[in-house]
Amino acid sequence: MNKKKQKKLLIALAGNANVGKSVIFNHLTGLHQHIGNWPGKTVERAEGTLHFRGYTIDIVDLPGIYSLSTYSLEELISRKYIAVERPDIVINVVDASVLERNLFFTLQLMELETPMVIALNQMDMAKRKGIQIDIEKLEKLLGIPVMPTVAIKGVGIAKLLEKAIETIEKGPVKKRAQARYGEEVEEKIGKLIEIIKNVQFFYPPRYVAIKLLEGDEEIEREIRRIDPQIVSTAKKLADEIENIHGHACSTVITSERYEVAGCIARAAQKLVSPIKPTLGERLHNLTTHKIMGYAILAFSLLLIFYSIFTFGDYTSGLLSDLFYGLEPLFASAFGTGIVGNLIWGGIIEGIIAGVTIALPYIIPFYVILYFLEDSGYLSRIAFLMDKVMHKMGLHGKAFIPVMLGFGCNVPACLGCRIMETQRERLLAAFVTTLVPCAACTVIILGLVGEFLGIQWALVLYVVDLLIIFALGRLAFKVVPGESTALIMEMHDYRWPHLKTVLKQTWFRVAEFIKIAFPLIIVGSLVLKLAEVFGLLEPIATVLSPITVTWLGLPAIIGITLIFGVLRKELTLVMLATLLGTTNFAEVPGFGPVQMVVFTLVAMFYIPCIATIAALVKEFGWKKALFITVFEIAFAIVLGGVALRLLTLVT
Amino acid sequence: MKRRNSKRHEVPLTALRAGEAGTVTSIRGGHGRGWGFGKRLMDMGLTPGTRVTVVKSAPFHGPLEILVRGSRLALGRGMAERIFVEIEK
Repeated sequence: MNKKKQKKLLIALAGNANVGKSVIFNHLTGLHQHIGNWPGKTVERAEGTLHFRGYTIDIVDLPGIYSLSTYSLEELISRKYIAVERPDIVINVVDASVLERNLFFTLQLMELETPMVIALNQMDMAKRKGIQIDIEKLEKLLGIPVMPTVAIKGVGIAKLLEKAIETIEKGPVKKRAQARYGEEVEEKIGKLIEIIKNVQFFYPPRYVAIKLLEGDEEIEREIRRIDPQIVSTAKKLADEIENIHGHACSTVITSERYEVAGCIARAAQKLVSPIKPTLGERLHNLTTHKIMGYAILAFSLLLIFYSIFTFGDYTSGLLSDLFYGLEPLFASAFGTGIVGNLIWGGIIEGIIAGVTIALPYIIPFYVILYFLEDSGYLSRIAFLMDKVMHKMGLHGKAFIPVMLGFGCNVPACLGCRIMETQRERLLAAFVTTLVPCAACTVIILGLVGEFLGIQWALVLYVVDLLIIFALGRLAFKVVPGESTALIMEMHDYRWPHLKTVLKQTWFRVAEFIKIAFPLIIVGSLVLKLAEVFGLLEPIATVLSPITVTWLGLPAIIGITLIFGVLRKELTLVMLATLLGTTNFAEVPGFGPVQMVVFTLVAMFYIPCIATIAALVKEFGWKKALFITVFEIAFAIVLGGVALRLLTLVT
Repeated sequence: MKRRNSKRHEVPLTALRAGEAGTVTSIRGGHGRGWGFGKRLMDMGLTPGTRVTVVKSAPFHGPLEILVRGSRLALGRGMAERIFVEIEK
């Protein structure tokens, strides 16, 4: 293929959240896609390429947002991308069943004066809700080509692409409809454009004028650098508008923009049949019901965890057997000398550890998570759990990473990105690192559940949740900043697009492997080295003032806790190895009280190494280190206090 | 929108019972010039003059479920307390 002859195009996908943008993205790019982060940001960036009619087309899927202001990082990134990178065309994906709110965003895209086409998606849902849309009329009102699509079934996608290319080939549109604001506002915009039009800036003058009147922080800052006079003039004009209307200027502009969106929507759509409650509607009422909603939630969570643990346990065992079945083969190839020992015990066992967690537990977890997200159930869970999370200064959405944390803390930490502010991401991440993951569950069930009875394991779980709640509340009081409230759309229930779910899962798992594997492998190599050089016993001795004197545990626990940093359940596995028995009840000095203390310490004493890596990635070294040190200190205090209290009672 | 001084009965959105509707009059307690969460609420369609229906609220003073501009939103109670509406008769 002669690459020089191919023409390159850049297409950006933009639109509200949950309108089927990523489904369209998947249809367009197939397997040729790459998901990373925006440079220096923790906002996801999905890119892909496709070849069409002799073009090589790069497609960027911008984050799902409701506005182009400075409310979130996603909004800033999106508008800057469109203004600076100047894609050849923006495909604005619009939810036909909520036309008015989606057009509010469309109008803002138009203000960026970018070439665009509209993918009027979820036409089937609109039809079910009794909404009929006159495509031609909509095209005429907006001055933008509109293509109806049903992305989930692949309907209209090819035509959408054709229309996009056609629009690009036709060249820039001369006359395009614009959101016309009220007279007073338009007059002020006109005045500002006069001053701004000679300023070199990547945003178009009219956009800058509107945003200055709205008091947009980023644009004010940029313009102030060029000419502070412009900003103060804009402020004066904004005040005039406020005096006329009795509302802040940004309120006036937003209202008027919505009015325009509403007018267009009403003119282009017709409500046909009287809306009778659809199946989705009934499902919504049931899943958010004050009693049934919680019952369904509890049942779903139990079902999810039960099936994941059953599946995970079985598959994990199968994979371990498979890998360890290769050990003799390996030993005959590399010998059982120090080198062979290091490679097997250090590197290969590290990989095995990673694989036996990642595949059996994390993959099903993500599949279910994305299935629930795409269907719309996650937003209902957030609605139901908002009140509880609020006590920790977080809102309902934070329940989702917490839920993930019960499977594995690593995806949970990464999942905290759904929170709006950096502060809330940190708070949520802190809480999730305390949540007992699958590995902790192995300890709780394998030690306390096995030897003291399942009721004590449940008591420990409850205690654990209470502690998490208390610490979460404490963190919320200590970390400065304002907490935000829930503002979330609950889109209509729909059947998820399986391919999109699987693809999202795949990218997440790849991310997990990238973050966790290197550290797990290095960690196990270091431990193996320590073992080979006989450093474990001295370390245990060094730790004995804490483990023996303060926590009242056998000295070898020090060694097992070191291994637990790698994977928490190794604390139990190593204990069995070092003691040479799995019947822990027979071990002298390791009675019921010690078992409880040990389990409590093991649950909290440190986020495992992979979780620390995830924390570093999301929040930097300092915060990751702080959380780690805090949890070590906390677990030591907790264990000691628990020991003394329990000895008092028994 | 030039009706700030008229004597109407304005109540916070949280005062509406399930099934009741009202018209947004103002959003109070925003930061600075209405940026931050006030701005976010308006971007989601809760601009003055908009009709809002409260569908229900989650138990124990949880968030509200509202209908606005044809879409369904979940709104934390703290946020809903700052939205003032005029109840429809």
